[in-house]
Amino acid sequence: MFEQILVNGLLAGLIYVIMALGFTLIFGIMRIVNFAHGEFYMLGAVVVLVLFGQMGWPFFMAVIAGGVVSGLLGLVLERLLFRRIVGDEMAGMIMSLAIGIILQSVALIVFGPAEQTVTRPFSGTWSLGGAMVPWDRTIVALCALAIIVVFYIFLKFSRLGLAMQAVAQDPDTSSLMGVESGSVYAASFSIACVLAGLGGALMAPIYTIGPYMGELPMLKAFVVVILGGLGSLPGAVAGGLLIGLSESVLATHLDATAALIASFVIVLLVVITRPTGLMGRSVR
Amino acid sequence: MKRTVLTCVALLALLSSLWLFGNNYVLHIATMVVIMAPMALSLNIMMKLGQLSIAQPAFMGIGAYGAALLTMRLGVPPLLSMLAGATIAAAMAAISGPVFLRIKGVYFVLLTYAFSQVVNLVFQEWVSLFGGNSGLYGIPKFSLFGFRLTQVHHYFALGLVFTALTYTAMRAIERSDIGAIFESLNENEMLSRSLGSNALAWRTAAYTFSAFVAGVAGAIYAFYIGFLSPDPFGFRASVDLIVINAVGGVNLVLGPMLGSLFIVPLPELLRDAREYQLLVYGVCLMVFVVFLKQGLVSLFQSPKKGVRA
Amino acid sequence: MNAPANSKGHVLEVQGLTRRFGGLTAVSDVSFQVERGEIFGIIGPNGAGKTTLFNVIAGHFRPSAGTVTFEGQDISGQTSDAIGRLGIARTFQAVNVFKEHTVAENLRRADVAHRCHNPWAWLSHRNSAGRADAHDVARFLGLDDSMQGEAGSLAYGLQKILGIGMAMMVTPKLLLMDEPAAGLNSSEKRMAADLIRRLRDERGITILLVEHDMPLVMGVCDRILVINQGKRIAQGTPDEVKANPAVIDAYLGEDYEFA
Repeated sequence: MFEQILVNGLLAGLIYVIMALGFTLIFGIMRIVNFAHGEFYMLGAVVVLVLFGQMGWPFFMAVIAGGVVSGLLGLVLERLLFRRIVGDEMAGMIMSLAIGIILQSVALIVFGPAEQTVTRPFSGTWSLGGAMVPWDRTIVALCALAIIVVFYIFLKFSRLGLAMQAVAQDPDTSSLMGVESGSVYAASFSIACVLAGLGGALMAPIYTIGPYMGELPMLKAFVVVILGGLGSLPGAVAGGLLIGLSESVLATHLDATAALIASFVIVLLVVITRPTGLMGRSVR
Repeated sequence: MKRTVLTCVALLALLSSLWLFGNNYVLHIATMVVIMAPMALSLNIMMKLGQLSIAQPAFMGIGAYGAALLTMRLGVPPLLSMLAGATIAAAMAAISGPVFLRIKGVYFVLLTYAFSQVVNLVFQEWVSLFGGNSGLYGIPKFSLFGFRLTQVHHYFALGLVFTALTYTAMRAIERSDIGAIFESLNENEMLSRSLGSNALAWRTAAYTFSAFVAGVAGAIYAFYIGFLSPDPFGFRASVDLIVINAVGGVNLVLGPMLGSLFIVPLPELLRDAREYQLLVYGVCLMVFVVFLKQGLVSLFQSPKKGVRA
Repeated sequence: MNAPANSKGHVLEVQGLTRRFGGLTAVSDVSFQVERGEIFGIIGPNGAGKTTLFNVIAGHFRPSAGTVTFEGQDISGQTSDAIGRLGIARTFQAVNVFKEHTVAENLRRADVAHRCHNPWAWLSHRNSAGRADAHDVARFLGLDDSMQGEAGSLAYGLQKILGIGMAMMVTPKLLLMDEPAAGLNSSEKRMAADLIRRLRDERGITILLVEHDMPLVMGVCDRILVINQGKRIAQGTPDEVKANPAVIDAYLGEDYEFA
């Protein structure tokens, strides 16, 4: 029983981490709350629906395509729109809200409100101790883990990654030292969208695909990021796993909605006692 | 002065002709406008402080369910239950305010989002009290000193009176010392606080007031529609309010009023093309954020502000 | 640490004050007292920690260790607005006024901000007279001719003086001044020094200032605290400090004249 709870929690948690990483990246670097983040997740899933479900592409190629499409769209939107309102936090939030609404409505118009499914690329389960682990969720978790590791390496060891960290810490000094914040913003936003898109693409066969499917993952990302600290990448990882595990524990004793309420309440309590989250920067 | 008198007369003429000649359909839309206008004003108060609150519809819901249940289950007269429901909403704002408003703007958004989600989930899950997703039926009509409000005309009048009251109150506050204090806090918080201004206390007061307004609007909605479900009090509603404020303009109190006038009838006009309604919302919002940040109201403003004494 | 009773006329007592930012210790175990009616200066080379020390006292940062006591009351860790209500006012290094309003309105707003500091205070005191009179303050500062002028269009030096005026509107017992000479030319600096002396002599305000400008500090302060690398290295009268070898050492390589 215990192993099952642990496994379920980790599997869910890893996807939350992917969503949260992108969300917190955008905030940490551009100080924008991306209300459209769930829609980029949906976009990744939709790409898988079309390429894998309808056109017969190999699953992993469709997943990568999902990430790429999301990332490209993010790049375009950042260059065209977000660039105009840098610094204005409220305008950024409203802008991302507008984009989310537009993406959702386009999906609604093109695909209709009904949810669709794709056939699962993997099936069967294997056992880990006392737990039954579905193969498809395992693959998703392994991919998520790989993505997180690659992202971490990128951040720590590439020029762009280091530039991103610099801009997140201190945009003015960074620009004095020759880091062009414009390209860092563009890169961050599109990478965050890639992450969301990959998350949605990987999860496409697990649940259903529909125009509203991004709402719950975004909600989870919010919760994780509040818990872990806005702008903190380690916080996103810690928060994601923590939320995944606590939800798994709560779900055995309460139903899904009560568990959701409980996780919100926990988060509210955390924020009350430690406003910047578990690992956020201190603010007076 | 002449302009104000003329505007008032024109407004009165418009409203009276609406009342006398409008059919039930038009009056229903008008009633929804005057219920949502105070909601938009409620959000406007917070946006003027630079805080985007996603909690306003939740406060509306608390006022709505509170008033409905007090009247239905405890036989409290509707006017009293309306005020009581709004007071419960205000109390929740007063309690959560000092915690939520302490932290930077963005956290506030997320916290009000979390708060609003919890409230909605409670409305959905506590079926015995709130009726869950299938809803709370059979809310009695509003009555004032023995007079029962049965027709849409009555509710239009009720909503209009409340809208006018809220608008007047907000304008009065704006012109008073309180307005100067808020302006000082917004313009230069560090300076104001160094002079002793308790930013947190003032923000909490604004939040509480905004919750009270939302609560009353919710109660009016409950008595008007006669039926409640958690649907109108969720994130969607917040999006509507944000669109209204962005389109109408945040800086002047008139902004959300204009915004409500334009945006609230939209779902009805686009009834046959519901998917497009969402698209229109999104595009409107985007256009206004990018090109017309001050909102519709700026089209009527004189271009140069003189030195304010 | 317990704050001792205010028997000696200390307006401000700082004991063992430390402030850390992550791995960096900006202020380390600094202690000093400011006597009533004193003009007390804090100096130190660039990056010495004076600004951080100032900001801890002003309530912008919590101390990591140590205490700040005002008139016998422990105020360590209180917020900047709470400190503003206790009778401590501050001025800012860069100009901080309400630029789009008149000088008169700026002074009025300072009074309103203080008197109606929260909604209950507004309810009780909204119609009361303020503790200071705006015209009196303006006359004291030489601003009475500019009362109807827009604050943002005043000369830089006058805007800084308006900042002092706003602080005066709350009738402080202690005035914290953050680099009062910053951005002023030499004749304005002389006027600033005069003004600081008059604030103490004519209004009885105790003054604590942080400053880079040596002539001003040496000319105006009764006692000076010298900070370097977050630690106290000397304290005394201007003459004592000027002659202190540790102080001279700290400033070696910096372009300062002690005269």
